Amino acid sequence: MATPILEINHLTHRYPDGNGGIFDINFSVTKGEFILIAGQNGSGKTTLIRHLNGLIAPQEGRILLQGRDIFKNLTHTRKTVGMVFQDADTQIVCDTVYDEVAFGPENLNLERSLINKKVIQVLDQLDLTGLKHRNPATLSGGEKRKLAIAGILAMDPEVIVFDEPFANLDHPGTQSILAVISGLNKNGHTIIMATHDVETVLHSASRLIIMARGRIAIEGSITQMVGHLESHGIKPPCTCTMEPPSPPCQ
Amino acid sequence: MNPFMFRPGNSTLHGLDTRCKVFLVCLMSLALVKADFPACGILFGILVFFIKNIGLGVGETLKHLKYFILFLVFILLSRALTIAGDPLISLHGMTISAQGLYQGSLVALRFFLVMVTGLVFSATTRPSSLKSAAQWYLKPIPLIPEKRVAIMISLALRFLPLLLQQAQETSNAICARCGNLEKNPVKRFIRLTLPLLKKTFLSADHLISAMEARCYCEDRTDPEFEPSGKEAIFIVISLVFWLCLFLA
Repeated sequence: MATPILEINHLTHRYPDGNGGIFDINFSVTKGEFILIAGQNGSGKTTLIRHLNGLIAPQEGRILLQGRDIFKNLTHTRKTVGMVFQDADTQIVCDTVYDEVAFGPENLNLERSLINKKVIQVLDQLDLTGLKHRNPATLSGGEKRKLAIAGILAMDPEVIVFDEPFANLDHPGTQSILAVISGLNKNGHTIIMATHDVETVLHSASRLIIMARGRIAIEGSITQMVGHLESHGIKPPCTCTMEPPSPPCQ
Repeated sequence: MNPFMFRPGNSTLHGLDTRCKVFLVCLMSLALVKADFPACGILFGILVFFIKNIGLGVGETLKHLKYFILFLVFILLSRALTIAGDPLISLHGMTISAQGLYQGSLVALRFFLVMVTGLVFSATTRPSSLKSAAQWYLKPIPLIPEKRVAIMISLALRFLPLLLQQAQETSNAICARCGNLEKNPVKRFIRLTLPLLKKTFLSADHLISAMEARCYCEDRTDPEFEPSGKEAIFIVISLVFWLCLFLA
């Protein structure tokens, strides 16, 4: 069996007001996997994934990245586990597309020539080269989301965590982001995605974890889990086959 | 379109190192303190040349500055009416003096030239390189965390339009529920600012998380400058002009 890249052991985090939080979460992630974390609003998805690159410290339990506690070296953790937030507008820090992609590598204090090389490569990979001098505020929702991904990719992460990547996107924007994410997974990146829009991404994922009230309600392969979606308040796909959704649902 | 927005291009000014441009703008602003009409005329000619060179168009620039020009007219009139001297026109007890008109025109012209200089500078300078230049100039000054200042400039440039957009959205949401019928300006102000502040602090929280997630620290790679090689010529000519003006 392959060695897990991430291991989450008995992870618990309670909020002071008693609402939300996560309790006794256990699962592991193998290199190259595409894991969907689904659940209703308030089920603890975002709290869970924010632990994965050390933005929230666990109150109980621990997270191991390549066998080592993620808090032993937070810079290494955040370089290895990239996080794409739900709202691209608050993730984008700089005033041009080029500088935004360079922000992460600059924080890692890399050589300028290496930063330039990485930025050009990532912009090219995500089809953003033509926009490199644009102000991010003038980009469309889909382009902003791509830029947020580009900013993470420039740091060469092995694992990329997405928080609701399709929120507020139109159909072409969703398809474009889905193609980028699937491409990253095919290129060997491990993907962890928190979403309640399971239908869009079901065909690309390899495993599904359903959360309810801060706990893992059920987990398994996509084929095993499709039938359990509705009972946990998640919209099931229009067809329960594993065929790509073509033609679109009526 | 904001007239002070950066416009990508390949002109000489676009290619000039931002540190050099900042120095030239400072030099020009200082020169304007002493400049009389002939010197202002020369500076105006130089600015018109660069406005055309960067592809802005003189008419378009004046159009963008129309409200500012109105403000300058106000300055001119107030000077012309308040400075004592040889009367030119007298109307309803108010007198415009020749000296007042001269002083007013000169002050208005100097302000106008400072504004056009700023416009040419901002139209040819990427905001990010302005941030880098500020970092470079602040580096030798002790006790000033230049990298932190640079990132603050970057965040301000990035988030100011976003805050304005949020303010507009909040205002629209209030109007959609007939909030505009409220006549009390204090209540209207509170209704707009409280949700806006809440949103702003929430956005700031998200921003901090996003920066932390990308390993933000102050020990970052220094910015890169790409001098075009023409900086020395520009600095020498400007210094000669400046010296001539101050020694004359």
